[in-house]
Amino acid sequence: MARRVAVVGAGMTRFVRRAQETGKELAWEASREALASCELPLDRIDAVCLTSAPDAFDGVHMKGEYLSDGAGAFGRPFIRTYVGGGSGVFTAIQAYYTVASGMADIVLAVAEEKMSSTQPHPQGAFLTIFDNILERPLGPNLLWIFALEMNRYMTVHGIDKRDIAAVAVKNKRNAADHPAALLGQADVTIEDVLASETLAWPVQRLDVSPISDGAVAIVVASEEAAKQITSDPVWIQGVGWNLDTAYWTNRDLVFPEYVANAARMAYGMAGVTEPRKQIHLAEPYDPFDYKELHHLEGLLLFDKGKAPEAARDGVLDRKGDLPSCPSGGLLGVGNPIAAAGLMKIAELFWQLRGEAGARQVPGTPERGVAQAWGDLMQVGTVVVMGREGGPPTTATQLETPPAATPGQSLSDAEFRSAAGAVDDGIGARYAWDAGVAIGGFLDGLREGRIMARECRGCDRVLVPPRMFCERCFRGTDAWKQVENTGVVQTFSICNVSWDMQPLDEPELPAVISIDGSDGGFLHTLGEVKPDDVTIGMAVEAVWKPVGERTGSILDIAHFRPRKDA
Amino acid sequence: MLEKIARPDQIRRWEGDFPVRHRYTPGVGGEAFFTALKERGVLLGSRCESCAYTYVPARLFCERCFAELSADTEVGPGGELVSFTIVFQGIEGEPLDQPEMLGAVRLDGADAVLIHRVLEPGDEPLEIGERVELVLKGENQRTGSILDIEGFRVAEA
Repeated sequence: MARRVAVVGAGMTRFVRRAQETGKELAWEASREALASCELPLDRIDAVCLTSAPDAFDGVHMKGEYLSDGAGAFGRPFIRTYVGGGSGVFTAIQAYYTVASGMADIVLAVAEEKMSSTQPHPQGAFLTIFDNILERPLGPNLLWIFALEMNRYMTVHGIDKRDIAAVAVKNKRNAADHPAALLGQADVTIEDVLASETLAWPVQRLDVSPISDGAVAIVVASEEAAKQITSDPVWIQGVGWNLDTAYWTNRDLVFPEYVANAARMAYGMAGVTEPRKQIHLAEPYDPFDYKELHHLEGLLLFDKGKAPEAARDGVLDRKGDLPSCPSGGLLGVGNPIAAAGLMKIAELFWQLRGEAGARQVPGTPERGVAQAWGDLMQVGTVVVMGREGGPPTTATQLETPPAATPGQSLSDAEFRSAAGAVDDGIGARYAWDAGVAIGGFLDGLREGRIMARECRGCDRVLVPPRMFCERCFRGTDAWKQVENTGVVQTFSICNVSWDMQPLDEPELPAVISIDGSDGGFLHTLGEVKPDDVTIGMAVEAVWKPVGERTGSILDIAHFRPRKDA
Repeated sequence: MLEKIARPDQIRRWEGDFPVRHRYTPGVGGEAFFTALKERGVLLGSRCESCAYTYVPARLFCERCFAELSADTEVGPGGELVSFTIVFQGIEGEPLDQPEMLGAVRLDGADAVLIHRVLEPGDEPLEIGERVELVLKGENQRTGSILDIEGFRVAEA
């Protein structure tokens, strides 16, 4: 039987655009504050769980080892986990099971991110999340994937962009009350969001959370230890995590089923049977404004497509029926990736203890849910936390946490001129083998055919093809040629390159479902005006001339509206 | 399963890179260390009294007890050679014209060791435990970099 586990302390640095501190110094500042908040010396910590997102941000291989001293790991059991954007919430889950299992009584969980080291733009670190062979030749950038998902979500449910913009407004206003926030803005309006630069339609500048540096830490303890440390522990009542298919172009982009699966797991553990009644506040993951709504639906707190109305009607406001991101979220406080996720756990801790000061949601909320999401948009991580046994006892004496806000911000000029700063590049190059399934797919493209693999276990025709079915976990059965036509599942009109430079001509990335298959892939649209593209449009592959084909995804020049349609 | 590959040149492969570079701030501890090195030609460490340990370069915090530290302790310029190696190959495996010697040195007043080049080893073989001393670049050549230290040389007996 798992032991009961509580959060007993939390701390964080300021989230800033460029921190003077090194990553390990940021980790130490947050960790020290978390320990101070529950008056524990480092030697009471039995084990350390750390998370930080891609090593590529820092160009430091084994970043966990690099950050370990700042996380208090010296001489202790230590592990670094990484599930992309889901990492921050996941490290709380890991701390939970380390304590629940009896392996440790008190665990320090630390999340650090320093994105400012990446030059010329941190988005470069994300380029290799795309398939090296099927997607990178198309020149995708991270905005594409969000824009594609957002467009489909909006189109399928008929959502007004204003209702999505309301989330950005809410969070930036909420963050104005957060002492660690990077982008708090009390007077921002929906019109400001709708007037901001269009990056990759429908994504505009103010729909997006900022690149940030920062760190967050929490102290997690067993029931016995927690009751010695504080009179007011906040219990981790349930945890859940879940993964969708790695083939993102085969996924339902309208509803995050993996978040729902993670939520069901966490609610089941927490005994939550009616989340809309039993969850009093939420910290869903909001790197983009639509994602908060998408995730609130995944968390089963709203019907599919109905969260935007809640944003419009003020239900999600700090004083609304279901306060969502009362911290200010990633859109307002900032998005140092792994740290931003753990910030949501820290916010639930402060809110449920009644310590959130100007950010405090009214009433005495008893239970909240925090969620993050990551990897290639496929992992959901969920934690349900609650306070039990009467109103909080510590509410009035404390300063508004975070009590101190360490973290020194550098201007761009200071960053460029800092004494002792070092410029470096990894300088590695790679060669990727196509493998069996994709090799066959590419051979087909050179012949002007789109080839799939059949799985007779689940009766699916798989595009992109694979030699094994990830659902049935058996070998696939046969090659099958499918049509050279398809349907636009979603698309974007992208105006910027990965390093955020304007493009002369916008690009039209699209997810195309291929006729005669159960899948599809990413490509670009051509021979069509951007304004004429619609979701559901029938398209056909335009092949390069035979002599120019090389066995590459680029053997299809683009997809265009079907001439016979 | 896969067959043995007899013609590696026929494997379909894609080449790519990781098109990012990095710029690292030295941090709070590092800035104090490099400023003193550049401007005063001294190496600063950080003393944690409760752990009885002196770190070098200077640090913002003690990893043992989490105390806040400052760049409060000047270390060196003399020290003890704790270990060394002689490098005969470059990063691509190419032979070096001149072998490079690297030493791990515990500077006087420090507990942590510092890695840097060993200069002018002379005719006698290096010995672990022998006395070495810092060699710095001239004041006008120092930029606030670990390369402001030229290396260590064997101390005059």
